[in-house]
Amino acid sequence: MPEEIVRVEGLRKTFTLSRKQRKIERTNAVKKTAVDGLSFVANKGEIYGLLGPNGAGKTTTLRMLSTLIKPDAGDAYVCGCSIVKDTGKVRDKIGFMTGELKLEGFFTPDYLFDFFGAMHGVEKETLRTRKKELFARFGIDRFAEVAVKDLSTGMKQKVSLVIAIVHDPDVIIFDEPTNGLDVLTAKVVTDFLYELKSMGKSVILSTHIFSLVEKVCDRVGIIIDGKTAADGTLKEVCADLTLEERFFRVYREVKGVEV
Amino acid sequence: MKLAALIKKEFHRFFHDPRLIVTMLLPGILIYIIYSIMGGIVNEKTAVEDFQFNVSVQGGAETVQTLEAAAEQAGISLTFTPTDDAESAREAVKNGDVTAFLSFSDDGALTIYYRSVDGESSAFRAFALDVLHFYDDCDLSDVEAFTASFTSGILPFIVVVFIFSACMSITLESVAGEKERGTLATVLVTSVKRYQITLGKVIPLSCIASIGAASSFIGVACSMPSLMGVSIGGVFGSVGFVGFFLLFLLILSVVPLVVSLICVVSAYAKSVKEASAYTSVVMILIMVLSLVSAFLSGIGAWTVAVPVLNAVVCMQGILALQLSVWQCLVSVALNLVYTALLVLLISKMISSEKLMFGS
Repeated sequence: MPEEIVRVEGLRKTFTLSRKQRKIERTNAVKKTAVDGLSFVANKGEIYGLLGPNGAGKTTTLRMLSTLIKPDAGDAYVCGCSIVKDTGKVRDKIGFMTGELKLEGFFTPDYLFDFFGAMHGVEKETLRTRKKELFARFGIDRFAEVAVKDLSTGMKQKVSLVIAIVHDPDVIIFDEPTNGLDVLTAKVVTDFLYELKSMGKSVILSTHIFSLVEKVCDRVGIIIDGKTAADGTLKEVCADLTLEERFFRVYREVKGVEV
Repeated sequence: MKLAALIKKEFHRFFHDPRLIVTMLLPGILIYIIYSIMGGIVNEKTAVEDFQFNVSVQGGAETVQTLEAAAEQAGISLTFTPTDDAESAREAVKNGDVTAFLSFSDDGALTIYYRSVDGESSAFRAFALDVLHFYDDCDLSDVEAFTASFTSGILPFIVVVFIFSACMSITLESVAGEKERGTLATVLVTSVKRYQITLGKVIPLSCIASIGAASSFIGVACSMPSLMGVSIGGVFGSVGFVGFFLLFLLILSVVPLVVSLICVVSAYAKSVKEASAYTSVVMILIMVLSLVSAFLSGIGAWTVAVPVLNAVVCMQGILALQLSVWQCLVSVALNLVYTALLVLLISKMISSEKLMFGS
């Protein structure tokens, strides 16, 4: 029986649209529901993929899970801690990787690792051992004293990944991990996902790339218009179809239109 | 530990970036150089000692003697040439052949013929008027009174402007800049408390801004003697230890207050550009208030309740030797209370997903 590590229960999030946003989206509605009663469960040591088109509510869901924004309704539990009531505890249990979180280019990977270690309250000795191990594993050790702004895109990505797990979190949340990356950097990320899995970590990622889900995910949730349209192991969701075929069938059922 | 790491990071960012250090210290050095050069030019133009006055005079032997005596005392080169031909003398002034022409009527009334476009001619006129009108009244205490009123009126204003400029340059970059670049969000996703993030900005930025403000202030103080003929040392000498201590406390209370104020603006703005525009408005408001208070005699005790302005008024009081200790201490205490309230507000603001992530 797999051990449950993240439980999402009826998450809901609405945003107020500005006049400009209403014009862009060609709507008169002042409120937009980004996530509408979303629920799913992710198990320990597995990679869970949130699959959906742009605007489906994937990023909003992950931002709520990482406590950057609060849900209007519902709750989620990370290692048993509520994202609404125990935000501090949740933050220490997760590592969040997204394009909107950046590292100050002026500092070196060595300095930033120590700084974010301190932000998570990691003991100095533990931090030193962990830095040595992670920097060696990801080949950062040779660039430890180079300012982040002078690193290659791939190396920057590696540094961001390593810093996201500086405090050895149980759950790692990735928002569109390979989006906009070249093939080499994308491979760094997928290798990292396997690495995390081999380390017994649980991963929740969002993507719209079918191949990534097929390649790395144990479980998948198809999310359309902020709602869970399908959820289960990759085998359960796909049945006798490919993931792509299954996705478009679900999409047709939910939206009632052909793509 | 978390707060210490946040503070250390801000100091590290500042002290390991030569450009930032130069940005902080350069204003003071530039102010000193520019003000000294300006002072040199101004003083060169007005130094009557450097001119050689060659003046034609018709009558008025007694007055001529008075002027000669004053010129000798001041070390001014002055030669009088008696003349009876007023027409030729006026023509000579017009042509620039002589510095000026003094014409005394039979009843003793004096007319000075000079050329305002000629620096030497104008300088002689000023010298003559000064000697003949104010010779009897000439009292050194007038000069000191001017010095004291200038220093007490303008200096606090200058101090506040420099504090604000120093705070502005680093705080906008550190708060609005980090928010715009997305590096603040990376810290927000850690378990560090929001008030610790705020203090981790306000404390180090206040220390760094103090260095910048001190640099600018020292620049002004050093260039004052050559620019205005005002000796800062002389004025501060009469302020005394208590006055000095209170000045120090007042400045110390204004720096974190201004840093917090700019932090609020930076946390609200979406970009450094937007924050900069808002801060400029706040700065102009504070500058106007400070300047108005400098020339408003008998301003009420209510000013102690107005942040920043209270410090300006108190500094004016100290420098004008009208020290009110309770007013200074209340101002310092209130500024610290305002700072604490702003720290709470900033903590709330950086917890706001709407302000931090625009959602």
